[in-house]
Amino acid sequence: MTGVFSVIIIIAILVALGFGLIGMVKGGKSGSDKMFKSLVIRVSLSVLLFILVMFSGYMGWITPNAIMVDAPVIPTSIQK
Amino acid sequence: MSEQEYYVPHGTYWPIIGSIGVSTLFVGFANQMHGVEWGGSVMALGLAITVFMMFGWFGQVVNESTNGIYNKQVDRSFRWGMSWFIFSEVMFFAAFFGALFYARALSVPWLGGADNNIFTPDLWNAFSASWHQMAFLAPGTELQSGTVMSFPDVPASGIATATPADVVDPWGLPALNTALLLASGVTLTFAHHALRAGHRNQIVGWLVATIALGVAFLGFQIMEYSHAYHDGLKLTSGIYGSTFYMLTGFHGFHVTVGAIMLTVILYRVQKGHFDADNHFGFEGVAWYWHFVDVVWLGLFVFVYWL
Repeated sequence: MTGVFSVIIIIAILVALGFGLIGMVKGGKSGSDKMFKSLVIRVSLSVLLFILVMFSGYMGWITPNAIMVDAPVIPTSIQK
Repeated sequence: MSEQEYYVPHGTYWPIIGSIGVSTLFVGFANQMHGVEWGGSVMALGLAITVFMMFGWFGQVVNESTNGIYNKQVDRSFRWGMSWFIFSEVMFFAAFFGALFYARALSVPWLGGADNNIFTPDLWNAFSASWHQMAFLAPGTELQSGTVMSFPDVPASGIATATPADVVDPWGLPALNTALLLASGVTLTFAHHALRAGHRNQIVGWLVATIALGVAFLGFQIMEYSHAYHDGLKLTSGIYGSTFYMLTGFHGFHVTVGAIMLTVILYRVQKGHFDADNHFGFEGVAWYWHFVDVVWLGLFVFVYWL
């Protein structure tokens, strides 16, 4: 469930960022206002997403991906 | 310049100097990577030429802007130019996020025999598909499945056993870095607000905070790289290592570029180049920083967590 919410929030962040870009390209007072408001929404949603992921991790609803090393893993049974 | 007059840019030698600088930089870099003696010197020379070009070219554009040479037509072309640059950046990161998704969700499972081996019928049947090979175990360690594993590249004495969480813990540096970058997005938004309200001193303070947070992010990222590299995660560590370093490395490069651009904007704010109504330079850099921030958030969520 956290994954679904995260993806939804990320899409919303991208949409807000996109509106910010449109405002920037448009320019002028209205474009500048639109850009600023969109970026405020983008920052707020980002903070929300970070809190959601951290809280979900803390609650154990999601588990972090681990990092591996490059040593090849070969079962002894088939090693020469 | 009148609004009706069509703006034709004057001739300039800066692009060719930039080309020479960047070419020299990469020839030096490539040779440095191959251990050629003069590689480092040529690289430094290329960097010096590139920096010289940036100071010269950007300085010229700033001077033209402050001298009122540009009209609204030019302003519009700057905005469109920035949007195309951003489009190329979005496509760049989309390609690497796409590679991450393809490898993780499709190609690695196929290699492991997913879908009844329909895609990879002739592969070595002992290949074990794993997005994260958690190989921080001593040779001969018995896994939960009962399979005894060994590692040809690991000395007979084995290596220290560590849980994956000890290697790169998403609660540690990645979370801290995400918090730093998010905080920089917040401080930049305050700077943006202060600029629109005409409070120059506040803009300077918030911009300094944004740059400091960005630099702190880079410092911790170097620490994380060092940690991961010494624990064996390299560009050659399979598809995960490649995509991990490609994405985070280019993101780090973008943060570096963004921090440099913010520093230039800070200088321009102090010089009084912007006012509440005309500050495209600030807007362009601010948007870029927000974009870089969002890319990291995507990295943090998809690489470390989901």
